[in-house]
Amino acid sequence: MTRLLDARNLRAAYRTQDGRLVRAVDDVSVHVDEGEVLGVAGESGCGKSTLGAILSLNVRSPLQVESGTLDIEGKRQDFGASAKIPRTWRGSVVSLLPQGAMNSISPTMRVRDLCFDVVRAHDRRARRSDALDRVRDRIADLGLPPRVLDAYPHQLSGGMKQRVVTVISTLLNPRLLIADEPTSALDVSSQRALIEMLKEMLEQKIMAGVIFVTHDLPVLRTVSDRIAVMYAGKIVEVADAGDLVDRPRHPYSAALLSSVLVPEPRYRTMRVKGIPGAPPNLLDPPPGCRFHPRCGLAMPQCHTDEPPTDGTELRYSACHWSAQHPGESVPVEAATRDELDGGEPLDRAGEPVALAGDGTGVGR
Amino acid sequence: MQFARYLLRRTLWLLVTFVAAMVLVFLLIRLVPGNPVDAIVAQMTRGGGGSGEQVRAIYDNYMREFGLDLPLWQQFLVFCQNVLQGDFGTSFAQYPAPVTAMIGQALPWSIAIQLPAIVVGWLVGNVVGAVAAFRGGWFDKGAFLTSIFATSVPYYCLAIILLFVVAVRMQILPAGGGYSFGLSPELTLTFFGDAITYFWLPFWSLVIVFIGGQAVGMRSMAIYELGSDYVNYARGLGIGDNRITRYIFRNAMLPQLSGLALSIGGMIGGALITELVFNYPGLGTLLFTAISSNDYPVIQAIVLLITIAVLLANFLVDVVNGLIDPRIRAAETGDR
Ligand SMILES: Nc1ncnc2c1ncn2[C@@H]1O[C@H](COP(=O)(O)OP(=O)(O)OP(=O)(O)O)[C@@H](O)[C@H]1O
Ligand code: SF4
Ligand SMILES: [Mg+2]
Repeated sequence: MTRLLDARNLRAAYRTQDGRLVRAVDDVSVHVDEGEVLGVAGESGCGKSTLGAILSLNVRSPLQVESGTLDIEGKRQDFGASAKIPRTWRGSVVSLLPQGAMNSISPTMRVRDLCFDVVRAHDRRARRSDALDRVRDRIADLGLPPRVLDAYPHQLSGGMKQRVVTVISTLLNPRLLIADEPTSALDVSSQRALIEMLKEMLEQKIMAGVIFVTHDLPVLRTVSDRIAVMYAGKIVEVADAGDLVDRPRHPYSAALLSSVLVPEPRYRTMRVKGIPGAPPNLLDPPPGCRFHPRCGLAMPQCHTDEPPTDGTELRYSACHWSAQHPGESVPVEAATRDELDGGEPLDRAGEPVALAGDGTGVGR
Repeated sequence: MQFARYLLRRTLWLLVTFVAAMVLVFLLIRLVPGNPVDAIVAQMTRGGGGSGEQVRAIYDNYMREFGLDLPLWQQFLVFCQNVLQGDFGTSFAQYPAPVTAMIGQALPWSIAIQLPAIVVGWLVGNVVGAVAAFRGGWFDKGAFLTSIFATSVPYYCLAIILLFVVAVRMQILPAGGGYSFGLSPELTLTFFGDAITYFWLPFWSLVIVFIGGQAVGMRSMAIYELGSDYVNYARGLGIGDNRITRYIFRNAMLPQLSGLALSIGGMIGGALITELVFNYPGLGTLLFTAISSNDYPVIQAIVLLITIAVLLANFLVDVVNGLIDPRIRAAETGDR
C-alpha cells in the first residue's frame, strides 16, 4: 500500500489579540494510505478543524504552524517560518471540504461560475465550454441533477448544497480530500446521500484518500477505515475503525463512545454517561495528561507526566493506564468519573453532556 | 423571466409612490395656514395704500391666476396636468417669472457642483476603503481614522472652514457666487475659466466629506466579506487573490451602489447649506429664497423635483440590485 500523506510532528497555534498562543494542534502525526479513509473524532474545540486546515494547506493568520513536515506523494513540505506552498497545490493535490458549506459559495455567483474559476485557477488556458462540459459530466456521473450548475447557492437545499460543494472540492481530482464535518449540519437522509457520494468518488478514484473529520462516531464507524481520536490538540488514540469502537484503549475514547446517543451494541445496555466537566482551555492546558481532570482512571503520574505512547503507528494509545495494561480495552464504566477533583459532586454527571453536540467551535 | 416580473412590480411601485407624492405635495402647500394670495396681497398693500375694493380686485385676480378659486379636486387635476406638461406656474415673489424657467437656471449649477463631487467621492472613497480593508496595517489605520474624521465633521462646518482659510485668509479663491460680476452664463472658455474658480471650494467641501463616508462604509463591508466562508473556501480551492477580490467587491458593492444612486437622487436638495455658505446660484439658494418669501409655487416645484429624483433613484437602485443579487429577485417575486 502506498503512502499518500504523511504528516509528522505538526504543531500549530492561534495568536490571540493580546499576543498569547492557543496551541490547537500539538505534536500531531498522522498518515493516510492510498484508498483509505481516516476518521478524526473529538469534542468541539479539540483542534480538528485546525488540523484539517494545516493538512489542506489552508493556514493563515492568526493560525501559525510552528513546526512539522508534510509528505504528499513523495513531495515534502517543511512547515516553519518561511514555508512557501504553491497556491495550485490547494484544490489539486489536497482539497478542503470545509465545515459549514452553507455559505461556501458567494451568494451572487452561480455554481457554474465557481466551477469554471476553480478549473481556470489551475489551468490558465482552460476554455469555459470545455471546463463546463467536464463539470457537467462529473455531475451526471455522481447522479446530481444538471440544473444545479445554473443555480445560485440560495436556490439549493442544504443537503444539495453540501453535495455540490463536495463536487466542486473534488473537481480537479485532488489526491487527498479533507472533509471537515461534512455531515454535521444535515438530516439523516442527506447524510447518507453525501456519504454514498463520497464512497462512490473513492471507488471512481476521483480522489485517492479522505480525511473525514467529525464528532459523530457512528458516522465515522461507517465511513472510515481508521479512526484517530483527538483531545485538546493531541491525538490520543489511533486504531482500525471497528477496533476503536469495540475495544477502545484510551479512557477518553471510551468516554466519547459512552456518551454517544445512538450507542454501539456493546454500550446499549448502559446508561448514557457523558463526560463530566469541559475540555481544557488550550491557552493553558493541564500538565501531565490533558484528560486527567476528567478521567476516571487517572493515577498520580497522570497529573505530572506526559503519558507514553503505547503500541504501533497503526494502533496506539497515549495513556499511562494503557501502558500498564497493554492490549487491554478500557472498562467503560470506569473511564468516566462522576465527580471532579475537589470532591464536589458534579450535578451534570449522568446527564448526557452532549459531546461536541453543538458542533461548531470558535474557528471553522 | 423572473427579472421581468421583478421589474414590473418595481415599476408599479414607482407609479404608486409617484401619485402619492403628487397628492402630498399638492396638499402640503395648501395646508399652509392662510392663503398664499393673502400673503401676496398683504405684502402689496403694506404701508397703507389701496382701498378695500382695490384690494378685493387684486385678490380675485390672483385667486383666478393661481386657480385657487376652484374646488380642491379640480385644482388637483389642473395641478397634475400642468406638472405633466412641465409647467409649475408663476412665481409669487418674482411675478411674473415662470417657475420652470427659474429652476432651469438654478438646476445646472447644483448639478455642476454635486455630480462631480458625488462621482469622484464615490470612486475614490470606495477604492480607499477596499484597499484599506485588503492591506490592513498602517495604511488601514491612517485611512480609517482620516475617513472617520472627514465624515464626522458636519459638511457645512468644513465648508465654512474652507471658506475662511482659503478664500478669506489666503485669498486664493473667490469667496462666493457662481461667476464674476459682469459676466453672464454662456458656453465660452472665458466664462468657464472664471466659473471654475468659484467651483473649487464648494466642490472640495462636498467631496472630502463624501470620500470619508464611502471609505468607511466600503472598508467595513469588505472586511466583513473578507472573513466570510466563501472567501476561505475559494482560497482553499487555490483560486487566486485577484479573482477572490472580485467576488468580495461584487458583494461589498451592493450597499455602496444603493448609496451612490441615493446620493444622486438626493443631489437636488442635498447641498442646500453648501450653496448657502458659498452663495452658489443653485437650487438650494433658490429654495432658501423661496421659503423666506413664501414663494409657494417655487417651493412646491422644488419639493416635487426632489421627491421625483429620490423616487427615481430608489427605483434604479432596486433594478440594479435585482440585476446583481439573485436573492433580492427571488425574495421579491416570491419564488426561489
Ligand atoms: N481564530 C482563532 N483565534 C483563536 N483561537 C482559535 C481560533 N480558531 C480556533 N481557535 C481555538 O482553537 C481550538 C481548536 O479549534 P478548532 O476549530 O480546530 O476546533 P474543532 O475541533 O474543529 O471544533 P468543532 O467541532 O467545534 O468544529 C479551539 O479551542 C478554539 O478556541
Ligand atoms: S489514565 Fe491517566 S493518562 Fe490515561 S487518560 Fe486517564 S489521566 Fe490520562
Ligand atoms: Mg471544526
